[in-house]
Amino acid sequence: MSTKRKVLIGLLLYFAITAILILVVGNEGKNDEFQPQNEFLLTPWIAINIAGIDFSITKAVLYLGLASAATIASMTFIASRMQREPNKVQMAVELAYDLTRDNITRGNIPDQKLARRWFPYLAGLFFFIWFSNMLGYLPLPTNTEHKVDIFGLAVPTLAIYAATANISIPLALALVSTAIYHIEGIREKGFFKYFASWLPGGLEDMNVFGKAAIFSIEAISHLVRPISLSVRLFANILAGHLLILFMAGGLAVLLGFAALGALTFPMAFAFFVFEIGLVATLQAFIFSTLTAIYIGGATAESH
Amino acid sequence: MDVLLPLAQAASGVTDDGLKSIALGIGAGLGSIGAGIGIGIIFGKEIESVARQPELKDELQSIRWLGFALTEAVAFYTFIFGLIAFFL
Repeated sequence: MSTKRKVLIGLLLYFAITAILILVVGNEGKNDEFQPQNEFLLTPWIAINIAGIDFSITKAVLYLGLASAATIASMTFIASRMQREPNKVQMAVELAYDLTRDNITRGNIPDQKLARRWFPYLAGLFFFIWFSNMLGYLPLPTNTEHKVDIFGLAVPTLAIYAATANISIPLALALVSTAIYHIEGIREKGFFKYFASWLPGGLEDMNVFGKAAIFSIEAISHLVRPISLSVRLFANILAGHLLILFMAGGLAVLLGFAALGALTFPMAFAFFVFEIGLVATLQAFIFSTLTAIYIGGATAESH
Repeated sequence: MDVLLPLAQAASGVTDDGLKSIALGIGAGLGSIGAGIGIGIIFGKEIESVARQPELKDELQSIRWLGFALTEAVAFYTFIFGLIAFFL
Protein backbone atom coordinates (compact mmCIF):
# COMPACT_ATOMS: atom_id res chain seq x y z
CA MET A 1 0.00 0.00 0.00
CA SER A 2 1.39 3.41 -0.85
CA THR A 3 1.96 6.08 1.79
CA LYS A 4 -0.65 8.29 0.20
CA ARG A 5 -3.36 5.70 0.68
CA LYS A 6 -2.32 4.99 4.25
CA VAL A 7 -2.60 8.71 5.10
CA LEU A 8 -5.98 8.90 3.35
CA ILE A 9 -7.32 5.89 5.24
CA GLY A 10 -6.05 7.33 8.52
CA LEU A 11 -7.74 10.65 7.89
CA LEU A 12 -10.97 8.95 6.84
CA LEU A 13 -10.94 6.86 10.03
CA TYR A 14 -10.31 10.01 12.06
CA PHE A 15 -13.35 11.75 10.61
CA ALA A 16 -15.46 8.57 10.61
CA ILE A 17 -15.00 8.15 14.37
CA THR A 18 -16.15 11.73 14.86
CA ALA A 19 -19.15 11.27 12.56
CA ILE A 20 -20.18 8.04 14.34
CA LEU A 21 -19.90 9.75 17.71
CA ILE A 22 -22.04 12.65 16.49
CA LEU A 23 -24.71 10.16 15.40
CA VAL A 24 -24.56 8.07 18.57
CA VAL A 25 -24.05 10.65 21.33
CA GLY A 26 -25.26 13.86 19.75
CA ASN A 27 -25.22 17.25 21.35
CA GLU A 28 -26.12 17.36 25.04
CA GLY A 29 -26.29 21.12 25.14
CA LYS A 30 -24.24 23.63 27.04
CA ASN A 31 -22.86 22.43 30.35
CA ASP A 32 -22.94 24.81 33.31
CA GLU A 33 -21.93 22.49 36.15
CA PHE A 34 -18.35 21.57 35.37
CA GLN A 35 -16.05 24.46 34.57
CA PRO A 36 -12.66 23.42 33.19
CA GLN A 37 -11.30 26.93 33.52
CA ASN A 38 -11.31 26.40 37.30
CA GLU A 39 -8.08 24.53 36.68
CA PHE A 40 -6.43 27.94 36.98
CA LEU A 41 -8.34 29.00 40.09
CA LEU A 42 -6.13 29.48 43.13
CA THR A 43 -8.01 28.26 46.19
CA PRO A 44 -6.15 29.02 49.42
CA TRP A 45 -5.16 25.73 51.10
CA ILE A 46 -3.72 27.34 54.21
CA ALA A 47 -5.03 30.86 54.64
CA ILE A 48 -2.39 33.29 55.87
CA ASN A 49 -3.16 36.97 56.11
CA ILE A 50 -0.53 39.36 57.39
CA ALA A 51 -1.43 43.05 57.63
CA GLY A 52 -4.10 42.85 54.97
CA ILE A 53 -1.83 41.16 52.41
CA ASP A 54 -2.74 37.68 51.27
CA PHE A 55 0.11 35.22 51.88
CA SER A 56 -2.06 32.08 51.55
CA ILE A 57 -0.46 28.81 50.52
CA THR A 58 -1.99 27.90 47.12
CA LYS A 59 -1.26 25.66 44.19
CA ALA A 60 1.10 28.27 42.76
CA VAL A 61 3.15 28.32 45.96
CA LEU A 62 3.45 24.53 45.84
CA TYR A 63 4.67 24.64 42.23
CA LEU A 64 7.09 27.44 43.04
CA GLY A 65 8.54 25.40 45.89
CA LEU A 66 8.73 22.28 43.74
CA ALA A 67 10.52 24.12 40.94
CA SER A 68 13.03 25.70 43.34
CA ALA A 69 13.64 22.38 45.09
CA ALA A 70 14.08 20.56 41.77
CA THR A 71 16.53 23.17 40.51
CA ILE A 72 18.69 23.20 43.64
CA ALA A 73 18.53 19.44 44.26
CA SER A 74 19.33 18.30 40.73
CA MET A 75 22.14 20.80 40.21
CA THR A 76 23.86 20.12 43.54
CA PHE A 77 23.39 16.37 43.11
CA ILE A 78 25.04 16.38 39.70
CA ALA A 79 27.78 18.75 40.80
CA SER A 80 28.65 16.60 43.81
CA ARG A 81 29.18 13.45 41.77
CA MET A 82 31.00 14.70 38.72
CA GLN A 83 32.94 12.00 36.92
CA ARG A 84 35.78 12.02 34.49
CA GLU A 85 33.81 9.85 32.09
CA PRO A 86 30.36 11.39 32.23
CA ASN A 87 27.16 9.40 31.92
CA LYS A 88 24.27 10.66 29.84
CA VAL A 89 22.65 12.82 32.52
CA GLN A 90 25.92 14.57 33.33
CA MET A 91 26.52 15.11 29.62
CA ALA A 92 23.13 16.74 29.22
CA VAL A 93 23.60 19.01 32.22
CA GLU A 94 27.10 19.95 31.06
CA LEU A 95 25.64 20.82 27.68
CA ALA A 96 23.05 23.07 29.31
CA TYR A 97 25.77 24.60 31.50
CA ASP A 98 27.86 25.34 28.43
CA LEU A 99 24.82 26.89 26.75
CA THR A 100 24.19 29.23 29.67
CA ARG A 101 27.89 30.14 30.03
CA ASP A 102 29.11 30.52 26.47
CA ASN A 103 25.98 31.26 24.51
CA ILE A 104 23.75 33.22 26.87
CA THR A 105 26.22 34.99 29.16
CA ARG A 106 29.48 35.46 27.26
CA GLY A 107 27.77 35.84 23.90
CA ASN A 108 25.77 38.86 25.08
CA ILE A 109 27.96 40.48 27.77
CA PRO A 110 31.28 41.41 26.14
CA ASP A 111 32.94 42.50 29.40
CA GLN A 112 34.47 39.32 30.89
CA LYS A 113 34.44 40.58 34.50
CA LEU A 114 30.75 41.45 34.23
CA ALA A 115 30.00 38.14 32.53
CA ARG A 116 31.61 36.24 35.41
CA ARG A 117 29.66 38.30 37.93
CA TRP A 118 26.25 37.72 36.37
CA PHE A 119 26.70 34.17 35.09
CA PRO A 120 25.28 32.55 38.29
CA TYR A 121 22.15 34.70 38.10
CA LEU A 122 21.57 34.05 34.40
CA ALA A 123 22.19 30.32 34.72
CA GLY A 124 19.94 30.15 37.77
CA LEU A 125 17.24 32.02 35.87
CA PHE A 126 17.49 29.60 32.96
CA PHE A 127 17.36 26.44 35.08
CA PHE A 128 14.64 27.72 37.40
CA ILE A 129 12.34 28.73 34.55
CA TRP A 130 13.11 25.49 32.70
CA PHE A 131 12.27 23.32 35.71
CA SER A 132 9.18 25.38 36.44
CA ASN A 133 7.95 25.05 32.85
CA MET A 134 8.68 21.34 32.70
CA LEU A 135 6.98 20.63 36.04
CA GLY A 136 3.96 22.38 34.58
CA TYR A 137 3.45 19.54 32.09
CA LEU A 138 3.60 16.85 34.76
CA PRO A 139 0.09 16.03 36.00
CA LEU A 140 0.13 16.29 39.80
CA PRO A 141 -2.75 15.69 42.22
CA THR A 142 -3.43 19.34 42.95
CA ASN A 143 -7.04 19.90 41.88
CA THR A 144 -8.64 20.07 45.33
CA GLU A 145 -12.01 21.07 43.90
CA HIS A 146 -12.71 17.53 42.72
CA LYS A 147 -11.66 14.50 44.72
CA VAL A 148 -11.31 10.98 43.43
CA ASP A 149 -11.69 7.92 45.65
CA ILE A 150 -8.69 5.57 45.65
CA PHE A 151 -9.10 2.72 48.18
CA GLY A 152 -11.13 4.92 50.50
CA LEU A 153 -8.64 7.77 50.30
CA ALA A 154 -9.92 11.05 48.89
CA VAL A 155 -7.12 12.11 46.54
CA PRO A 156 -7.33 15.36 44.58
CA THR A 157 -7.64 14.79 40.85
CA LEU A 158 -4.65 15.25 38.60
CA ALA A 159 -4.15 18.69 37.15
CA ILE A 160 -1.47 20.59 35.31
CA TYR A 161 -0.35 24.01 36.44
CA ALA A 162 2.95 25.84 36.40
CA ALA A 163 4.46 28.49 38.61
CA THR A 164 5.23 30.46 35.45
CA ALA A 165 1.58 30.26 34.31
CA ASN A 166 0.87 32.79 37.05
CA ILE A 167 1.74 36.40 36.21
CA SER A 168 3.28 37.17 39.61
CA ILE A 169 6.32 34.90 39.32
CA PRO A 170 7.49 36.00 35.84
CA LEU A 171 6.78 39.60 36.89
CA ALA A 172 8.97 39.25 39.99
CA LEU A 173 11.78 37.72 37.92
CA ALA A 174 11.45 40.44 35.27
CA LEU A 175 11.52 43.22 37.86
CA VAL A 176 14.68 41.78 39.41
CA SER A 177 16.29 41.58 35.95
CA THR A 178 15.26 45.16 35.15
CA ALA A 179 16.63 46.47 38.44
CA ILE A 180 19.89 44.61 37.85
CA TYR A 181 20.57 46.06 34.42
CA HIS A 182 19.76 49.62 35.51
CA ILE A 183 21.98 49.34 38.61
CA GLU A 184 24.78 47.73 36.62
CA GLY A 185 24.57 50.48 34.00
CA ILE A 186 24.66 53.24 36.65
CA ARG A 187 27.61 51.55 38.38
CA GLU A 188 29.52 51.31 35.13
CA LYS A 189 28.92 54.82 33.79
CA GLY A 190 27.65 57.02 36.59
CA PHE A 191 24.09 58.22 37.18
CA PHE A 192 23.67 61.00 34.58
CA LYS A 193 26.00 59.47 32.02
CA TYR A 194 23.96 56.25 32.09
CA PHE A 195 20.70 58.04 31.29
CA ALA A 196 22.49 60.11 28.65
CA SER A 197 23.67 56.85 27.08
CA TRP A 198 20.05 55.91 26.36
CA LEU A 199 20.25 58.29 23.40
CA PRO A 200 21.51 56.48 20.32
CA GLY A 201 24.74 57.69 18.75
CA GLY A 202 24.90 60.08 15.81
CA LEU A 203 22.51 62.69 17.24
CA GLU A 204 25.12 65.32 18.09
CA ASP A 205 23.75 67.85 15.59
CA MET A 206 20.14 67.57 16.75
CA ASN A 207 18.46 70.38 18.73
CA VAL A 208 17.21 69.91 22.31
CA PHE A 209 13.57 69.19 21.43
CA GLY A 210 14.48 66.43 19.04
CA LYS A 211 16.76 64.87 21.61
CA ALA A 212 14.02 65.10 24.26
CA ALA A 213 11.54 63.40 21.95
CA ILE A 214 13.93 60.55 21.22
CA PHE A 215 14.84 60.28 24.90
CA SER A 216 11.15 59.91 25.86
CA ILE A 217 10.71 57.14 23.27
CA GLU A 218 13.76 55.36 24.72
CA ALA A 219 12.37 55.84 28.24
CA ILE A 220 9.09 54.23 27.20
CA SER A 221 10.96 51.30 25.68
CA HIS A 222 12.84 50.83 28.97
CA LEU A 223 9.57 50.98 30.93
CA VAL A 224 7.93 48.41 28.68
CA ARG A 225 10.81 45.93 29.01
CA PRO A 226 9.75 44.34 32.33
CA ILE A 227 6.16 44.10 31.07
CA SER A 228 7.07 42.45 27.78
CA LEU A 229 9.60 40.17 29.51
CA SER A 230 7.07 38.89 32.04
CA VAL A 231 4.02 38.75 29.76
CA ARG A 232 5.98 36.81 27.12
CA LEU A 233 6.81 33.99 29.52
CA PHE A 234 3.46 34.03 31.33
CA ALA A 235 1.31 34.16 28.19
CA ASN A 236 3.28 31.41 26.45
CA ILE A 237 2.90 29.00 29.34
CA LEU A 238 -0.71 29.97 30.07
CA ALA A 239 -1.72 29.64 26.42
CA GLY A 240 0.02 26.27 26.22
CA HIS A 241 -1.84 25.00 29.25
CA LEU A 242 -5.15 26.38 27.98
CA LEU A 243 -4.63 24.72 24.60
CA ILE A 244 -3.80 21.35 26.16
CA LEU A 245 -6.73 21.67 28.58
CA PHE A 246 -9.29 22.59 25.92
CA MET A 247 -8.02 20.16 23.31
CA ALA A 248 -7.78 17.24 25.74
CA GLY A 249 -11.49 17.43 26.49
CA GLY A 250 -12.29 20.77 28.08
CA LEU A 251 -13.93 22.04 24.92
CA ALA A 252 -16.08 18.92 24.53
CA VAL A 253 -17.14 19.07 28.19
CA LEU A 254 -17.81 22.80 28.14
CA LEU A 255 -20.01 22.60 25.03
CA GLY A 256 -21.52 19.23 25.98
CA PHE A 257 -20.53 17.99 22.54
CA ALA A 258 -18.77 14.66 23.01
CA ALA A 259 -17.98 14.05 19.33
CA LEU A 260 -15.80 17.15 19.32
CA GLY A 261 -13.51 15.37 21.77
CA ALA A 262 -12.58 12.72 19.22
CA LEU A 263 -11.61 15.48 16.81
CA THR A 264 -9.55 17.54 19.25
CA PHE A 265 -7.90 14.83 21.36
CA PRO A 266 -5.06 14.01 18.91
CA MET A 267 -4.33 17.75 18.73
CA ALA A 268 -3.79 17.75 22.51
CA PHE A 269 -0.92 15.28 22.01
CA ALA A 270 0.55 17.43 19.26
CA PHE A 271 0.42 20.56 21.43
CA PHE A 272 1.84 18.65 24.41
CA VAL A 273 4.85 17.52 22.37
CA PHE A 274 5.27 21.04 20.95
CA GLU A 275 5.14 22.62 24.39
CA ILE A 276 7.59 20.18 25.99
CA GLY A 277 9.93 19.98 23.03
CA LEU A 278 10.13 23.62 22.11
CA VAL A 279 8.27 26.20 24.17
CA ALA A 280 9.42 25.21 27.68
CA THR A 281 13.11 25.35 26.82
CA LEU A 282 12.80 28.25 24.39
CA GLN A 283 11.07 30.52 26.90
CA ALA A 284 13.70 29.81 29.58
CA PHE A 285 16.40 30.52 26.99
CA ILE A 286 14.74 33.74 25.81
CA PHE A 287 14.19 35.09 29.30
CA SER A 288 17.82 34.69 30.35
CA THR A 289 19.17 35.75 26.94
CA LEU A 290 17.17 38.97 27.01
CA THR A 291 18.32 39.70 30.57
CA ALA A 292 21.92 39.21 29.40
CA ILE A 293 21.32 41.43 26.36
CA TYR A 294 19.88 44.15 28.58
CA ILE A 295 22.85 43.97 30.97
CA GLY A 296 25.26 43.99 28.04
CA GLY A 297 23.45 46.91 26.42
CA ALA A 298 23.33 48.99 29.60
CA THR A 299 27.06 48.63 30.18
CA ALA A 300 28.26 48.86 26.57
CA GLU A 301 30.65 51.72 25.77
CA SER A 302 28.58 53.25 22.98
CA HIS A 303 24.88 52.70 22.59
CA MET B 1 -32.48 41.21 2.62
CA ASP B 2 -34.24 37.90 3.26
CA VAL B 3 -30.86 36.35 4.03
CA LEU B 4 -30.19 38.87 6.77
CA LEU B 5 -33.50 38.30 8.54
CA PRO B 6 -32.46 35.19 10.50
CA LEU B 7 -29.28 37.01 11.47
CA ALA B 8 -31.28 39.96 12.77
CA GLN B 9 -33.55 37.63 14.68
CA ALA B 10 -30.58 35.87 16.20
CA ALA B 11 -29.08 39.22 17.08
CA SER B 12 -32.04 40.04 19.32
CA GLY B 13 -30.67 37.50 21.82
CA VAL B 14 -27.23 39.09 21.93
CA THR B 15 -25.73 39.33 25.39
CA ASP B 16 -22.77 41.29 26.64
CA ASP B 17 -20.83 38.08 27.23
CA GLY B 18 -21.50 36.92 23.70
CA LEU B 19 -20.20 40.15 22.22
CA LYS B 20 -17.14 39.97 24.45
CA SER B 21 -16.44 36.41 23.30
CA ILE B 22 -16.68 37.52 19.68
CA ALA B 23 -14.33 40.41 20.42
CA LEU B 24 -11.83 38.07 22.08
CA GLY B 25 -11.97 35.68 19.15
CA ILE B 26 -11.56 38.38 16.50
CA GLY B 27 -8.83 40.16 18.45
CA ALA B 28 -6.75 37.06 19.09
CA GLY B 29 -7.25 35.91 15.51
CA LEU B 30 -6.21 39.22 13.96
CA GLY B 31 -3.20 39.35 16.26
CA SER B 32 -2.09 35.93 15.11
CA ILE B 33 -2.01 37.05 11.46
CA GLY B 34 0.85 39.45 12.07
CA ALA B 35 2.82 37.01 14.19
CA GLY B 36 2.27 34.26 11.61
CA ILE B 37 3.62 36.42 8.80
CA GLY B 38 6.55 37.45 10.97
CA ILE B 39 7.50 33.88 11.88
CA GLY B 40 7.26 32.90 8.24
CA ILE B 41 9.62 35.71 7.25
CA ILE B 42 12.12 34.76 9.98
CA PHE B 43 12.33 31.11 8.97
CA GLY B 44 12.30 31.93 5.27
CA LYS B 45 15.17 34.39 5.62
CA GLU B 46 17.09 31.96 7.77
CA ILE B 47 16.79 29.22 5.14
CA GLU B 48 17.90 31.73 2.51
CA SER B 49 20.93 32.77 4.52
CA VAL B 50 21.96 29.19 5.29
CA ALA B 51 21.63 28.34 1.60
CA ARG B 52 23.97 31.22 0.77
CA GLN B 53 26.47 30.69 3.58
CA PRO B 54 26.15 27.20 5.12
CA GLU B 55 29.15 27.81 7.39
CA LEU B 56 27.11 30.35 9.42
CA LYS B 57 24.43 27.80 10.28
CA ASP B 58 25.22 27.46 14.00
CA GLU B 59 25.43 31.19 14.54
CA LEU B 60 22.15 31.80 12.75
CA GLN B 61 20.37 29.12 14.72
CA SER B 62 20.40 30.95 18.06
CA ILE B 63 19.43 34.23 16.40
CA ARG B 64 16.55 32.45 14.67
CA TRP B 65 15.15 31.11 17.95
CA LEU B 66 15.47 34.54 19.54
CA GLY B 67 13.55 36.12 16.66
CA PHE B 68 11.00 33.34 16.67
CA ALA B 69 10.25 33.71 20.37
CA LEU B 70 10.07 37.51 20.18
CA THR B 71 7.66 37.38 17.25
CA GLU B 72 5.57 34.57 18.67
CA ALA B 73 5.07 36.59 21.84
CA VAL B 74 3.20 39.25 19.85
CA ALA B 75 0.37 36.82 19.23
CA PHE B 76 0.19 36.16 22.95
CA TYR B 77 0.09 39.86 23.80
CA THR B 78 -3.11 40.20 21.78
CA PHE B 79 -4.45 37.08 23.46
CA ILE B 80 -3.72 38.48 26.92
CA PHE B 81 -5.27 41.85 26.07
CA GLY B 82 -8.29 39.98 24.71
CA LEU B 83 -8.58 38.09 27.99
CA ILE B 84 -8.28 41.33 29.95
CA ALA B 85 -11.08 42.86 27.84
CA PHE B 86 -13.12 39.69 28.32
CA PHE B 87 -12.89 39.61 32.10
CA LEU B 88 -13.13 43.34 32.79
